[in-house]
Amino acid sequence: MLKFLTTLFPTGDFALLAFILGMPLLGAIVNGLWGQRLGKQAVKTMALAAVGLSFVGAVLAFLVLDREASHHPGEHVKLSWLAWQWMRTTGAREASVPIELKFSVDALSGVMMLVITGIGFLIHLYASAYMEKDKAYWRFFAYLNLFIFSMLILVLGDNLPVLFVGWEGVGLCSYLLIGFWYEHTPNATAGKKAFIANRIGDFGLICAMFLLVQYTGALDWSGIESGAGSLVNQADQAQVHLWPIGGGQFQGVLAFLQPKNPLMITGATAVGLMLFLGCTGKSAQIPLYVWLPDAMAGPTPVSALIHAATMVTAGIYLICRLSFVFVLSPFTMAVIACTGAFTALFAATIALVQNDLKKVLAYSTVSQLGYMFLGVGVGAFTAGFFHVLTHAFFKACLFLGAGSVIHAMHARIHDDAKSQDMRYMGGLRKYMPYTFWTFGAATIAIIGFPLTSGFFSKDEILFKAFVNHPVNGAAAHMGAKAAANLWQQPAWLGPVVWAMGLAAAVLTAFYMSRAFILTFFGDFKGWTIGRPSQIDAHAHDDHGDEDHHHEEDLKAPGLAPHESPWQMTVPLMILGTLSLAGGFLNPALFAGMFKDHKPPMDHWLEPVFEEANKAIQVLPDVETAHHKEYPLTAAAFAAFAVGTFVAYQFYIAKKGAPAKDMAEKAPGLYKLLVDKWRVDELYDATVWNGADALADTAISVDQSFIDAIIARLTALLVAAFGTLLRVFQNGVVHVYAAAMAVGIALIGWFVVLPRADVVTRGTGNGDFVLEAAPGMGYGYRWTPEVGGKAQDEKFSPTSTSIKIHLEADKTQTVKLEVKNAFGLQASQELTLKGPPTEKPQPEKLGAVDLPSDNVGKN
Amino acid sequence: MITTNSYVLLSAILFTIGGIGFLMRRNVIVTLMSIEVMLNAVNLAFVAFNRSMPKAHTGQLFSFFLIAAEAAEVAVGLAIVIAIFRLRRSVRTDEADLLKN
Repeated sequence: MLKFLTTLFPTGDFALLAFILGMPLLGAIVNGLWGQRLGKQAVKTMALAAVGLSFVGAVLAFLVLDREASHHPGEHVKLSWLAWQWMRTTGAREASVPIELKFSVDALSGVMMLVITGIGFLIHLYASAYMEKDKAYWRFFAYLNLFIFSMLILVLGDNLPVLFVGWEGVGLCSYLLIGFWYEHTPNATAGKKAFIANRIGDFGLICAMFLLVQYTGALDWSGIESGAGSLVNQADQAQVHLWPIGGGQFQGVLAFLQPKNPLMITGATAVGLMLFLGCTGKSAQIPLYVWLPDAMAGPTPVSALIHAATMVTAGIYLICRLSFVFVLSPFTMAVIACTGAFTALFAATIALVQNDLKKVLAYSTVSQLGYMFLGVGVGAFTAGFFHVLTHAFFKACLFLGAGSVIHAMHARIHDDAKSQDMRYMGGLRKYMPYTFWTFGAATIAIIGFPLTSGFFSKDEILFKAFVNHPVNGAAAHMGAKAAANLWQQPAWLGPVVWAMGLAAAVLTAFYMSRAFILTFFGDFKGWTIGRPSQIDAHAHDDHGDEDHHHEEDLKAPGLAPHESPWQMTVPLMILGTLSLAGGFLNPALFAGMFKDHKPPMDHWLEPVFEEANKAIQVLPDVETAHHKEYPLTAAAFAAFAVGTFVAYQFYIAKKGAPAKDMAEKAPGLYKLLVDKWRVDELYDATVWNGADALADTAISVDQSFIDAIIARLTALLVAAFGTLLRVFQNGVVHVYAAAMAVGIALIGWFVVLPRADVVTRGTGNGDFVLEAAPGMGYGYRWTPEVGGKAQDEKFSPTSTSIKIHLEADKTQTVKLEVKNAFGLQASQELTLKGPPTEKPQPEKLGAVDLPSDNVGKN
Repeated sequence: MITTNSYVLLSAILFTIGGIGFLMRRNVIVTLMSIEVMLNAVNLAFVAFNRSMPKAHTGQLFSFFLIAAEAAEVAVGLAIVIAIFRLRRSVRTDEADLLKN
């Protein structure tokens, strides 16, 4: 079977990718164009089949890739498919750079591809029930399929421009799906916010592309890798000059701005920082994280698929993909690690006090993405990427579980905001057993319960953060001696980011336990909303259709919350199982049990990160670091234990009383956390108001100058001219005909009457050539000397010119007579003057006499 | 003998009559008739000039083409006149101002 596939799709022309990409696109087109007429059943079948087939294709591609990889151990195996020669651009040293629409799958994108299509399929299945009652069912699935397509383009693209197409495509789908219920203004606003925050990041990505073309002369992965050496060129011209901008010189009054040494960074640092700016936008890191919590306005399956499992990890994917560029700049690596650690901690503090279940999960996602950046920032690329995988499992499961809870709550209380509020939940364990167990499995995975997936991935990241030390990867390109002079990360950086990560782990354990306890334990508090309680299980309530319910008697007792249908619980169970067991794909803690001390994932991704890993040192040395592994794991376990124990004490043992006490003791801090550190307000005050002020200025210039003067003046001129012309265009055919007749008469007059016109050309020395202007049917007669005889008796059509020679100081009057076919005559006389005697200089004389028409016509 | 000059003179007179009629009258039917008169004046001139060249038939051929064109033009013109009349109960050109203002 696999052999057949490898024959059918050779490594260099792996057209199976076209099938994997094409299925979701087909689904999006069919559902998008005809979905409204197809009906829900057909839309559901189409969407699920599209993603399901794509998943089957992805599994086959993965198996082929595995086979190829086992045949070429240690090599970076890649299956690629060229769709189209897209365009060409000019890069380094004026070389022509082809940009191809080319897709490829290797170890890294293979895993991403499986996650996208696999989890994507589960979430499609879930959504088919979750969105059952929505009137825009078809639109939802068209967007969702389009998202899968764009995301596949993002990970399968073989160069940056193709990745960028996918990058923008997922951004578009994210925008469309956040604002899916666009009738509510906050949803539409949240969509716009996400879109705009992403634009800032995309600016960075575009700049990085320009820089890469300029430096490495390539945009495809292998081309960038082979040209990476030029990114660390230390020559002055080859660096990016930050101050003075572009490498100029301040002079005159501005001379005080000139620094002693110009501030320069290498190309690698510039590219790395710009790429990272793109990643902060897409993957919701400080400072651009603000859109992700608001993105929860979209339907819950969207939050699970796009804003937890796949799209937001695109930034990590990009860094892993271009790891060999990032390691060239220890500064960029330090920036990534610090941003990641700080985001992880910062978002976790906000998640502590949120009451909206989805908001807690949203900040948790931001925090976990921070962990991933912390991982790749310290050079633990495998660990960071492994966290992408495990996070996809448990966070998708958590969001889907939350969706299941919200689904049940909404069926009972019919209020969008309150059905997400954990203060009205509680005790759902009894009513929703499947959701309870799967949500529980995902929760213990995210808080790092030993041997679950989150435990292995998070533990690995924290361990690597403590011991790893990225040195300058430039050494390979410029020699160790020169590289030693470059900036190096200080040795204390690793332990500091480790401590921040550990603190975030404690907080994670606390807030996730809190959410889990508040939702599923204790007593159900939703009875008081909407209508009184009646635990009555005999009828299955029809939910979702609000208007229908408003007509009902709200005083009648409502029903208990209920478990969701199988389409929703089956994905939950699969994802819950993966959350528990997924860690064994890469149990770095037990590396010793595997061949070469490499757990499966590490082994699988080794060729991808081989280049980058050369630049990663372990402090103080491999042996000592290895001994630290168990103590550090113990610390991670302690973080989990402390966080969970405190949450248990607060919310189960003491029923939430300590939390209330603390909120009352420090109301300022509590308010600040509830308000999410007021970062949104800060952005409003600075960025938002700044943009507003700029817009106001532009408006006043526009109104006072452009509108008032330029536009009105033009309009006035046009209007005046129009008024004039309107008089003539009165719509009466006879007037037009009369105008035509007059016109014809004028042309006739011009044709009938002859005109005698003479053009004189002096050649100097008193020689003149006189030429008559031509006309239809003209005959000419010249009289060289008026009063004398004419040259010919008759009018001749051929004698159009005459030559005259004048002696010095003589004048002569020449006469031309013209006769046309109608026998009408006209004549002209002109006086010529010979050259003066004194200065016999032909050139000058010529100039004097040069013949203008004025002279001729006198 | 009647010379070519006489025919051309007659043609010129007819053309002028047609032209003046076209410019002066406001009745569409009369306007169309005036056009016919002008076209036939041209036909006459064609045929008259052709008479002085006994071996050529260019003028006559032209006048045939013109007659065919006239027929088509009248058909379309009268159709428009009827349409206007149905709409406005009038065949006066200065009252057919639907597009104005």
